Amino acid sequence: MMSERLEKLFCPDSVAVVGASNGFDKLGYHVMKSLIQGKYGGEIFPVNPKGEIVWGLHSYPSLRDIRGTIDLAVIVVPASLVPQVLHECGQKMVKGVVLITAGFREIEDQKGGVLETEIRNIADQYALPILGPNTFGFVNPTFEINASFTSELSLLEKGGVALVSQSGGIAHLCGFLATEQRIGFSKLIGLGNRCNVDFAEVLGYLVERDKATKVIALYLEGLDRPREMVEAAKSLRGTKPIIAYKAGKGEKSDSASRFHTGSLAGNYRIWRGAFRQAGILEVSSIEELLDTAKVLDSCPPPGGPRIAVLSSQAGPGMVASDAIEKSGLKLSHFTARTQDRINSLLPPIAMRTNPVDMGPAWYSPQDILDLFEAVLEDEGTDGIIFMAMYASANENLANEIAQYVKRVDFLGKPVVACLSAPREIWNDAITGIDKRKGFAVLPTPERSVVAMGNLWRVKLIMDNGEG
Amino acid sequence: MDRLLLGIDALAFLEEEGLPVLESSLAKHVDAAVSIASRMRFPVALKISSPNVVHKTEFGGIRLPLHSESEVREAFHELADTFLSSNPQANLEGVIVQKLGKGFELIVGTMKDEQFGPVLMVGSGGIFVEAINDTSFRLIPIEGTDAREMIEELRGCKVLKNQRTMTVDLATIESFLLQTSTLAESHPEIHEMDLNPVFVSADGIAVCDARIRMG
Repeated sequence: MMSERLEKLFCPDSVAVVGASNGFDKLGYHVMKSLIQGKYGGEIFPVNPKGEIVWGLHSYPSLRDIRGTIDLAVIVVPASLVPQVLHECGQKMVKGVVLITAGFREIEDQKGGVLETEIRNIADQYALPILGPNTFGFVNPTFEINASFTSELSLLEKGGVALVSQSGGIAHLCGFLATEQRIGFSKLIGLGNRCNVDFAEVLGYLVERDKATKVIALYLEGLDRPREMVEAAKSLRGTKPIIAYKAGKGEKSDSASRFHTGSLAGNYRIWRGAFRQAGILEVSSIEELLDTAKVLDSCPPPGGPRIAVLSSQAGPGMVASDAIEKSGLKLSHFTARTQDRINSLLPPIAMRTNPVDMGPAWYSPQDILDLFEAVLEDEGTDGIIFMAMYASANENLANEIAQYVKRVDFLGKPVVACLSAPREIWNDAITGIDKRKGFAVLPTPERSVVAMGNLWRVKLIMDNGEG
Repeated sequence: MDRLLLGIDALAFLEEEGLPVLESSLAKHVDAAVSIASRMRFPVALKISSPNVVHKTEFGGIRLPLHSESEVREAFHELADTFLSSNPQANLEGVIVQKLGKGFELIVGTMKDEQFGPVLMVGSGGIFVEAINDTSFRLIPIEGTDAREMIEELRGCKVLKNQRTMTVDLATIESFLLQTSTLAESHPEIHEMDLNPVFVSADGIAVCDARIRMG
């Protein structure tokens, strides 16, 4: 793997913005804003032919005029000027490029494709890694750099999820959804046209060199050389979990083959097989991609598929139980000792076997925590789905759970919790619970169970690592 | 130039490569068919063999099950008559006499995808192939775990695993898939290949018919 060449691209000590601007209608304005408002700690060199002050910084007419080394060049000049700028990058020994400029092979005009071949050749000449073209850039919250044209992405929480996307739109969607759901990122990367930095290389970098990344989430549309990605993932199997959403699920084969095999082989069917072969867990929605990434980042792997469902109200418990089997999990059978503990806390008016209806403990957060602990310690249970819907009578519950989370050690078993309350109520408490000690909070019972199921599947994939 | 291997030629090629195939033999005339059939033991199947017939079932070019010499004799004449009346100019090589396949029908195939390159497929065969598209794909070459997972992905696997209806050793199918993967890997000239049907039963696994396009 040549993944070390991406080190200074993602963690640069200095950044030049080629096409930096003071005009709001220029991408060079927004990239400067992202770097400055994102509190990037390295040196910033705006490059602008007019040589004026840009975002309060002295600017340079060209890269050549900058004294000192440049690790990363973010390029936002028009496509026709890109070859020249890349030559300058090469001569200036720039370590990596983020090429935001569009107008290459993604456009209908064939000139775009020709220009992309040209820039790829220039990049090869200088061994220059290029993220893009046609990318929004990247955000590295761990290193505190936002090298994108959306400054608000600096608000991403730090965490263990690296999201690598072929689409800038999906990267934005995931970034904003993640902020709402308290998902923490180690990287948010837009690959764009993948001129010479593709999924395979980025996977290698994230697994082998990026300590902050615990789980890798991919958004894929289609690749020219999918085998490289599959081979890379396969060779990294068992190191860090990789999950993927594949867009473009056409089942129909475009082959004109008169053979059965050829006519049945739709591109997406092959992708599905390739994902499994590579040890990549495929998910079926963007929501599931983020939920799964969050749970993988926050929870320990379950030792088995036996799950206990604890719910403060009966309904959510039943919905979760229905989802258990579909997700490849089983409802756990409590040991006699656990069942005795539960029975001592709940009167026989509620469901006390799995799922446990904690309804009668409504007014007593302590009883609910005791029930939780009894099930957590149960030898027949590998993970817990914990649910509580707000009601005026249980207002203190979330706070009590947050206090409990502070007190306990790492839980050792995954707990996916669905805690729902009116806007603003329980927010602080949930923040105190989410992603702590093995807890992860998700919005609905079904999503909690699906994510737990994926946590178990990933564990199986990881255990088969050498296979 | 592309070349198509069909029927007895395709089976011979596979057998030479070490894949299990149903015992088959080409009979040029009816007496040969009868003696081959009784040597094989009944029941047998008779199939038309001609480069002009690619889809034997659609053509009505198969007669089975045949339990006796007289049934074989009758079936041979029927097949030859049907064939010659609809293809007076065509070349009838003869009729294939084949041990009757039994068990669950699978389809196993390989093809070359523009992006992925060589790909292996296994699917529930017989009448289900096109109707329910119960298939699983992997990139060639596959490993043991891949073979197992491919089989488990098939909805038809539930039938294979049902002890009441089937006593199939799944390991037999696994090693067959591995063999097919190796075959395609070691013969890059194979463009596509349908092994269809492949019969799997308690007695083992065997290719009943095959089509191979080479270039």
